[in-house]
Amino acid sequence: MEVVLLFVMVVGLMLIGVPIAISLGLSSTLFLLWFSDTSLASIAQTLYQAMEGHSTLLAIPFFILASTFMSTGGVARRIIRFSIACVGHLPGGLAIAGVFACMLFAALSGSSPATVVAIGSIVIAAMRQVGYSRDFAAGVICNAGTLGILIPPSIVMVVYASATDVSVGRMFLAGVFPGLLAGGMLMATILIWAIWKNLPKGEWLGWGEIAESFADAFWGLMLIVIIMVGLYGIPGVMGAIFTPTEAAAVASVWAFFVATFIYRDMGPLAREGGNLSLLRKPVALVTAFFHRDTKATLFEAGKLTVTLMFIIANALILKHVLTDEQIPQQIAAAMLDAGFGKIVFLIIVNVILLIGGQFMEPSGLILIVAPLVFPIALSLGVDPIHLGIIMVVNMEIGMITPPVGLNLFVTSGVAGMSMMRVVKAALPFLAVLFVFLIIVTYVPVLSTWLPTKVMGPEVIVK
Amino acid sequence: MSGKYEPATALGRVVNGFEETFIAVILGLMTAITFANVVIRYVFNSAAGQWVERTFSIDLPGSLIWGLELTSALFAWLVLFGMSYAVKVTAHLGVDAIINLLPHRGRRMLALIAAACCLAYGFLLMKGAWDYWAPFGGFEQTGGRWFPEGFIKTRDQGWYETEQIPMPDWLRFVEPIFNQGEHYEKLPRFIPYLMLPIGCALLMFRFIQATWELIAGKREGLIVSHEAEDAIEDVRHMNYEE
Repeated sequence: MEVVLLFVMVVGLMLIGVPIAISLGLSSTLFLLWFSDTSLASIAQTLYQAMEGHSTLLAIPFFILASTFMSTGGVARRIIRFSIACVGHLPGGLAIAGVFACMLFAALSGSSPATVVAIGSIVIAAMRQVGYSRDFAAGVICNAGTLGILIPPSIVMVVYASATDVSVGRMFLAGVFPGLLAGGMLMATILIWAIWKNLPKGEWLGWGEIAESFADAFWGLMLIVIIMVGLYGIPGVMGAIFTPTEAAAVASVWAFFVATFIYRDMGPLAREGGNLSLLRKPVALVTAFFHRDTKATLFEAGKLTVTLMFIIANALILKHVLTDEQIPQQIAAAMLDAGFGKIVFLIIVNVILLIGGQFMEPSGLILIVAPLVFPIALSLGVDPIHLGIIMVVNMEIGMITPPVGLNLFVTSGVAGMSMMRVVKAALPFLAVLFVFLIIVTYVPVLSTWLPTKVMGPEVIVK
Repeated sequence: MSGKYEPATALGRVVNGFEETFIAVILGLMTAITFANVVIRYVFNSAAGQWVERTFSIDLPGSLIWGLELTSALFAWLVLFGMSYAVKVTAHLGVDAIINLLPHRGRRMLALIAAACCLAYGFLLMKGAWDYWAPFGGFEQTGGRWFPEGFIKTRDQGWYETEQIPMPDWLRFVEPIFNQGEHYEKLPRFIPYLMLPIGCALLMFRFIQATWELIAGKREGLIVSHEAEDAIEDVRHMNYEE
């Protein structure tokens, strides 16, 4: 079986330190040259078409850009202040507020490492100041940070939608309840733990502080409203306004506007100690577009887009191999012949993704695994949207499963702890997420109810 | 493994500045075009837009019909141009769990093997990119399946145009060169596709450079384990103890 050789080669190259994108691209190219009549020219074409021919993937650079503008310290700080005002007075309040802040930030950004860095750096320091152990703080943030890819908007969901031709809008809606449930379960666990261990609680700052901090964070949080209303409209009042790509572009323009003209943490109006008012420097309306902060943010987002899309483009070459060779159909037939049912299938998907998710960037992995398991799922009667959410949750857990989960690395960097300590610290909460995975996998209605309610029953083609 | 990239020479600074600006400008343009299209669709077609049209008897566009196609082409340019830059600053993602377990010598060996793989990839892709672009530019493809073995006769496809992107007048000088003096209605395809051979050549150049740096001992490896490495450096001071 040549395909086994192909996968061995991909994994082998990856492990010896070849960039992921090139492991995928080189293995697939060699495979195509050896075993098919595909020419190098058409491989180059696949690479170009990855960007030019997939209008769904076009949403990715814009979501990254919006989240880069939002990641300027100011927004994270305001969200954390609002979270502390809401739940800081509970036992273990600061930890719960950390989870809450991660959930809110996840709704602004589509990436887990970004969430851990933005929220974690501030919250872990604050938690240690009021007497939490560094381990507990790191464990909480490490787990809560993974919500970044589950709570919409999510880059991983965009990639899944593109790989399987389901609607991005449905995927985003499907992530809402599972995201809330995961956050709720983490918060409840902390609360019980805190009451039992008598962890510190903050003071109740009053409704005034909630209102004030909300007003402050409002402009950042409006981003969620823009995306959601734009994509789905207001039920009963108006219909959808944007395509997902347009929603992402509008969101990034909004994020630029908020960061530069309202929060003024960057751009021509930012000053050490007290930002300038636009009235005092109206020329900023023009200069903001050319300011070096704007350029730096565009560049950072561009660079991240490049590394992510280079992986995705090469994964598309691999996908091209798989479809050419009809691998998914063969595997599906083999599995059905062996008499595997839905449950065994879902367990196999779980295991593949948990292992793969440790090594690989989630979007690239989804792009390879989704076309493999999608036809099998359909013939076993698994809902495509539900399958997508299962895959995303598996990715989340893969990111915090020892030995090499990505979020573990990021947290160990942010908290200044060794990997082993982060692994131990994350373990109790990892157990919570495992329970969550089981719930999500075996209660499909959790994922499918909202999209069906808002967008009507889905039509499954193929 | 990465750290911030610092260009060493004056030329390096100029090139680096150009690369960063180019990436930023392309993404900026993509955002601006997509945003403008939304605005045009909703504002120009609204009652207010129609009032302006009637009052000043002008015709506002209903939408930028070429917006999506141009944005998609720019997206391809962004990634194809940026991939070589990412090699230069070691931003490509990879798995370093295994190589970190090895002693220095072993790590160096594997890094050199990995570099050889990258060179092979770059080489094959460069041939593919030329073969794909050549007919659109009116050049000849290379023969041979793996290695270019001379040029072969190729049908000139310089007349091939994009679907919607208008042809700007200042680009008309290409007509006698690529289209036998014939008029282009829309932007010819060889222009957006041009970034494919250029990007792949740049990628190959950066791979050769990186391999050389590995051999000379100026570079540790080719990959970074996650996208947030720089950002972690920035917040490092907040939770570290002296």
